Amino acid sequence: MRKFSMIVGALALGAAVAVQAAAPADVVEARHKEYKEMGKAMKETAGSFKSGAPDAALIKANAAIIASKADKIPGWFPVGTGPGVGTKNEAKAEIWTDKAGFAKAAADFSSAAKGFKAAADTGDMAAAGKALGALGGTCKGCHEKFKTKD
Amino acid sequence: MICMTETKTIRLWDLPVRLFHWITVLLVAGLWVTHVTDHMGLHIKLGLAMLFLVTFRILWGVLGSETARFASFVRGPAAIRAYLASGRKADGSPVVGHNPLGALSVIGLIGILAVQVGLGLFASDTDGIYYGPLNQYVSYDRAELLTHLHEFGFNLILLLVAVHLGAITYYAVKKKDRLIPPMVTGKKTYAEPVEQPRGAPLWRLAIALLLAGILTYWVGNGGHFIAPPKVTADAGY
Repeated sequence: MRKFSMIVGALALGAAVAVQAAAPADVVEARHKEYKEMGKAMKETAGSFKSGAPDAALIKANAAIIASKADKIPGWFPVGTGPGVGTKNEAKAEIWTDKAGFAKAAADFSSAAKGFKAAADTGDMAAAGKALGALGGTCKGCHEKFKTKD
Repeated sequence: MICMTETKTIRLWDLPVRLFHWITVLLVAGLWVTHVTDHMGLHIKLGLAMLFLVTFRILWGVLGSETARFASFVRGPAAIRAYLASGRKADGSPVVGHNPLGALSVIGLIGILAVQVGLGLFASDTDGIYYGPLNQYVSYDRAELLTHLHEFGFNLILLLVAVHLGAITYYAVKKKDRLIPPMVTGKKTYAEPVEQPRGAPLWRLAIALLLAGILTYWVGNGGHFIAPPKVTADAGY
């Protein structure tokens, strides 16, 4: 029994190491994909608002997508995935040199994303629109400091 | 043979053509700078101004004074060959206005500006922060493609501007024909008498400005004449 749990433990450890050892280029590509999914959710949301007749269900679904990813952002930037690693890497070195600043920007975004989701969940589109504005501000605020231009 | 209407100094370019030209120069520079320095909110506003200008110029190419009209200067291969051979029209008379070769440059520049501004209307950054005014009518993936084309299109503008400046320099140095002063003053003096090109009445200018203004208003309003109720308190983040 003990031997069995040791094997399980070793396998789990091996899996954890394998995850940690994901090639930096793959990490860069994976986070690029995550950000694009958020960008798509932002676009669909903003488009729905701009139509003048916001689709509450669509906005709620997209708010959930953004909120589900927001907390994960700090984990997308392990050391060793900075500028020059992989393709489509728009991360600035400041992410790692100004750790506190980046953590704060990510936290601001996360709290705005949750605020937007909460507003969208109530179905109050005026409140959701306002929360979306605040959310967009936190996207922009972080990108200005920590993201290179496309 | 000198007709009564022929004179050596003529009004070559009307004021709308000259204003279009120089405001376009400023706007292209401004659009470039706002992109490079990441002032995309302003970039999008200048883009709307560009839409107005290029739409106006296309309308003026139909409604405007003689030298502004596409029909007066866009010519076929035979006229281009004759111009290349003699520097004159096929009948030997001097070219007044855009020459048959330069016409290609004019069409190319106005055309690429129109395409470029059209692409920009649907463009967006990948993060969904900045949007062209008609972006909501295309999917995210389509917008991404159009945005890439918009970025690529600027290279073509740079190329055509380089050709344009090269041609101006060539005319000034080799042919001793300075093209810039007439584009500023509107007047040009020829070595021989030429016919004064026909101008355009103000009502035609009013129509062109009005139509370009209506299109720009509609686009700027996100494809509406009456803006839909604004739900976002501060969508202009």
